[in-house]
Amino acid sequence: MDQIIREKIKQVKKGDQSAFEDVVSFFQNKIYQHCFRMLGNAHEAEDMAQEAFIRAYVNIHSFDDNRKFSTWLYRIATNLTIDRIRKRKPDYFLDAEIKGTEGLDMYSQLASKERLPDEEVESIDLQRYIHQEISELPPKYRSIIMLRYLEEFSLQEISDILDIPLGTVKTRIHRGREALRKRLRHV
Amino acid sequence: MNCNNKSIELMHKYLDGDLSKGEETTLRMHLEECEACQKHFHELKRTITLIQSAEHISAPADFTSAVMKKLPTEKKSMKYTR
Repeated sequence: MDQIIREKIKQVKKGDQSAFEDVVSFFQNKIYQHCFRMLGNAHEAEDMAQEAFIRAYVNIHSFDDNRKFSTWLYRIATNLTIDRIRKRKPDYFLDAEIKGTEGLDMYSQLASKERLPDEEVESIDLQRYIHQEISELPPKYRSIIMLRYLEEFSLQEISDILDIPLGTVKTRIHRGREALRKRLRHV
Repeated sequence: MNCNNKSIELMHKYLDGDLSKGEETTLRMHLEECEACQKHFHELKRTITLIQSAEHISAPADFTSAVMKKLPTEKKSMKYTR
């Protein structure tokens, strides 16, 4: 897959916009999910994920072909979400809940369209609970826990994505794991 | 060994794949005799399993086309070559 993406990026750099469509299509779920977990609501997640792809496109010539495109793309997306979190008004979460009544809150987004047998419903409740606990971690721990365990990047790649030293990644992942251990031990 | 610091630090090194052979032995021997640390270690590993089971979320159906519509227009030269 890496090779296919590499080829597509070459075409995009030559000015072929349609090649970028395949790139977006391939990464859309990953990047949207990343933004959603960072921001906690569908509305902002969609805005920021779209913005991440647009910025990647506009700045494609500054992407070094010897690096991994996914690392670069996650870096753009993570920076955008962290900026957004910083700029939030303190009452933002109340607004998000009100908007949720229009079907834009995260639970409606997560809801399955089909009816499921009881045990599956139970497991979806658990998955949601876990999602909730992850999303309540401070952003600097949350981003690392997600990149490591949900998006399966190595610690070195996480250090590249977030542009922080490997030692800092390790300290934060330890703290993030301990925080979640305390929250999830009774599950 | 001080349970609250040293062995927990070793557990995290283990989880990051950073444990040396010697440290591995130290940790294993400690876990055999310390129930509190065994529990802590078990909880940490279970936490990771739980995190990995969090629900996957998909982008909205029209996501890609929405992005494509917002991109700056293509260079004219490229359009003519197709």
